[in-house]
Amino acid sequence: MDFAATLPRLVRRVFYRLVVPVVSIAAALSVSGLLIVVASGNPLEAYGAMLQGAAGSIGSLATTGVRTTPILLTGLAVAISFRAGVFNVGAEGQLYLGAAFATVVAVAPLGLPGFIHVPLALLAGFVGGALWVAIPAYLRAYRGVSEVVTTLMLNFVGIYLISYLIDPITGPIGERNASYAQSALIQEAARLPVLISGTSLHAGLLMGIGLAVALQILLRYTGLGFRLRMLGGNPTAARFTGMNSSRQIVIAMLISGGIAGLAGAGEVMGLRMRLYDHFSPGYGYDGIAVALLANSSPLGVIISASFFGALRAGANAMQQATGIETSLVLIIQALTILFVIFGPLRGWVATRTTRRAGLTPGGSESAP
Amino acid sequence: MGRIGWRGNQEKAGVGSTGQQSSAPELLRMERITKRFGDLVANDEVTFEVLPGEIHALLGENGAGKSTLMKILYGLQQPDSGQVNLDGRTATIRSPHEAVSLGIGMVHQKFMLVPNLTALENVVLGVTSPRPPLLELRDPRRRLMKLAEEHELAIDPDVPVWQLSVGAQQRLEILKALYRGARLLILDEPTAVLAPVEVGQLFRVMRLLAAEGRGIVFISHKLSEVKAVSDRITVLRLGRVTGSLPTAEASPSILSSMMVGRDVSLERVSPPVQGDAPILEMRDVSCLTDRRTPGLASVSLTVRRGEIVGVAGVDGNGQRELVECIAGLRPITGGRIAIQGRPPKGALRKIGLLGLIPEDRHEQGLVGDFDVAENLVLRAYGRRPFSAFGFLRWNQIRSHAVEQINAYDIRCPGPEAKVHHLSGGNQQKVIVARETQEDPALLVAAQPTRGLDVGAVESVLNLIRGQRDRGAAVLLVSTELTELFAVSDRVVVMHAGQIMGTVPPDPARLGEVGEMMMGHTIQVASDGVTAA
Repeated sequence: MDFAATLPRLVRRVFYRLVVPVVSIAAALSVSGLLIVVASGNPLEAYGAMLQGAAGSIGSLATTGVRTTPILLTGLAVAISFRAGVFNVGAEGQLYLGAAFATVVAVAPLGLPGFIHVPLALLAGFVGGALWVAIPAYLRAYRGVSEVVTTLMLNFVGIYLISYLIDPITGPIGERNASYAQSALIQEAARLPVLISGTSLHAGLLMGIGLAVALQILLRYTGLGFRLRMLGGNPTAARFTGMNSSRQIVIAMLISGGIAGLAGAGEVMGLRMRLYDHFSPGYGYDGIAVALLANSSPLGVIISASFFGALRAGANAMQQATGIETSLVLIIQALTILFVIFGPLRGWVATRTTRRAGLTPGGSESAP
Repeated sequence: MGRIGWRGNQEKAGVGSTGQQSSAPELLRMERITKRFGDLVANDEVTFEVLPGEIHALLGENGAGKSTLMKILYGLQQPDSGQVNLDGRTATIRSPHEAVSLGIGMVHQKFMLVPNLTALENVVLGVTSPRPPLLELRDPRRRLMKLAEEHELAIDPDVPVWQLSVGAQQRLEILKALYRGARLLILDEPTAVLAPVEVGQLFRVMRLLAAEGRGIVFISHKLSEVKAVSDRITVLRLGRVTGSLPTAEASPSILSSMMVGRDVSLERVSPPVQGDAPILEMRDVSCLTDRRTPGLASVSLTVRRGEIVGVAGVDGNGQRELVECIAGLRPITGGRIAIQGRPPKGALRKIGLLGLIPEDRHEQGLVGDFDVAENLVLRAYGRRPFSAFGFLRWNQIRSHAVEQINAYDIRCPGPEAKVHHLSGGNQQKVIVARETQEDPALLVAAQPTRGLDVGAVESVLNLIRGQRDRGAAVLLVSTELTELFAVSDRVVVMHAGQIMGTVPPDPARLGEVGEMMMGHTIQVASDGVTAA
């Protein structure tokens, strides 16, 4: 295949993949703009202020990065489970457990250098998240219990379990006599390096981007990825190839939960330096939105997480400049997802890509 | 073309002149109904009539067009051409709601009940209350109980539906239809979910309803039930009416030839290969269905190297369970299965042991969203040359796909075309290519030609023959007798989870097969395969 023939095709492919998210975002911004008008504001001014706050300076770019990091990781966690046909909506709880496990290792005065202590604590975070999802994974794979219910319910158990663990009086890893429910400060050696001095941007972002690349390679270029995609594409056909589906479900869920755990570890070790009560404003749930906007593509998650991260980073600047509530950001996020799952838009892309293949959809037999 | 050779035709011509039910025209007459889905003609000029007081059985294999015809009658689909007449008047039925108001009731295979409402609440659901907006249940209850009593449809009106047995839910569905004034009742495979005792009760109810002058359409593919309860039988095959006759005149062999096609051209390409080493051995194998009812009952079967053993039978008589047991996908509850001396569990993961062409290619055989190249390595992706050290080698996978596309004449834009864009025949070739590429010792093919056009049938059967000639043991499960007789070296017949007997693929023995498909035991000297 010569280069000229490859290029337009690749461009075409990328174009069709971008149609749904880009149109969805544009539509969401338009509708939200109407809301701003209704509230007698100027949408252009508001979005301008938001853009300024998200990308107007090194500092604001760093803030965008900080806001992007946790939802990038939870987005990857959710995306990988979606690709395997599993709906892990428990990233929130797994994030808390991952944070707790990482904290235990990170506060321990091990006397180790950073390049050992940091990976060790991150590993603990991964294990914490994976262990938390192991319960729903077992129930789904071997007992047929819907993972949607179990993972969601365990979120609440997880959040309150952490509240107990760091209780200042009774909690085993709570800081004694503190006025807040919080753990002790983590060791210097266990802190993620800051990327741009004078800002809070930490290496968690690089970890997320690296993981996205790794997952993209995993899905496309490894046997494990092939199995997971097969399972997501058609579990019955997977079974008819002799594949042990239960095992693959468990593997997919453990990877997913582990990555959500890393999101929690990253927040503790890169930003807050302690484990706090209720420290996540719903990063685990935002991960679902991030994964949906990216159509569960790991590299796409980088882009969609950055978009939502930028919205959040710009929200404060917008409120200061125009007086419009930061909660507008949540409306934009929700509208975006509504447009993403809006059928006709996807249908349009499907028919276009099908026509490109020179065939009619459904083959020759669409009969009952 | 539909050939209708019964009284109804003449009656249509001169209403009231033929003696039987003289003044009443047909309750229903569907005339030259045609319905297409893309290239597939689901109903091809189908004419179908029901008289008042008649139980009219609609017989045919899956995909013969029964459901489509009934969906048109019930307003769920619109015909491309043709007419529906009710009581001699043309009716346009645009929705189930209109069908109900015209006196048509349908009991679907899957019940349309709200589990946590009571039986009575389900009956009044969708019927305007006598005192809106209040829910008035006293009169409806009285009416319901009266209907139940008159028709031997015992039901407790105050029990939530989820607590009712399947049989009771079915009675409730019938009551629901009667409550809405159904004069024409469609029962879509009503016996599939019932125990034998309940089937008897249902038949009594059907006769009671018919005696009141209602018309009943009884959909089934079980010949014995159709013979037991109906007055008249219409057989559909590939969307066409292949015959319509009074039940009294219908013999099993006539019906089975109508169902499988009359002009059986049994062209044998290669002579039977000499029996050789046994590859598949099954001894007294039993298993359960998904519904935990007996699936296979003590099945013994041997398939040797270089032979095709055909499995005939009406759909749903254990063929599916047979295939899944052999592939190690369904646990057996008794007996022994060996493929080259190995147990079936994990056989699919061995190289060159077992090829499996599943009966439902979309659900079981392909990942629709994967491209052709990926679907061709669905089983072999993890092995050399397609994989090394856990990483896929896309160049190998792709060039392999190009080879297979050429070798098997798979018509597609290229290896990167999504497989769900391919036609049915080409999808099936992808599966056949994948399942035979490693020269399996045993090839199990379940309904490999279902839904394919003539050309594709030919090429798929030739590919299967080629496997036999190479020396594979082949088990070919099909409901198409023509096809089985054309390629098999011997044919076993299944009924109710048992093997009724074995016959050589001799056209003269077709009648015997028809009998055995209905469950009649025939003494056949065979290779140790006998009716249990």
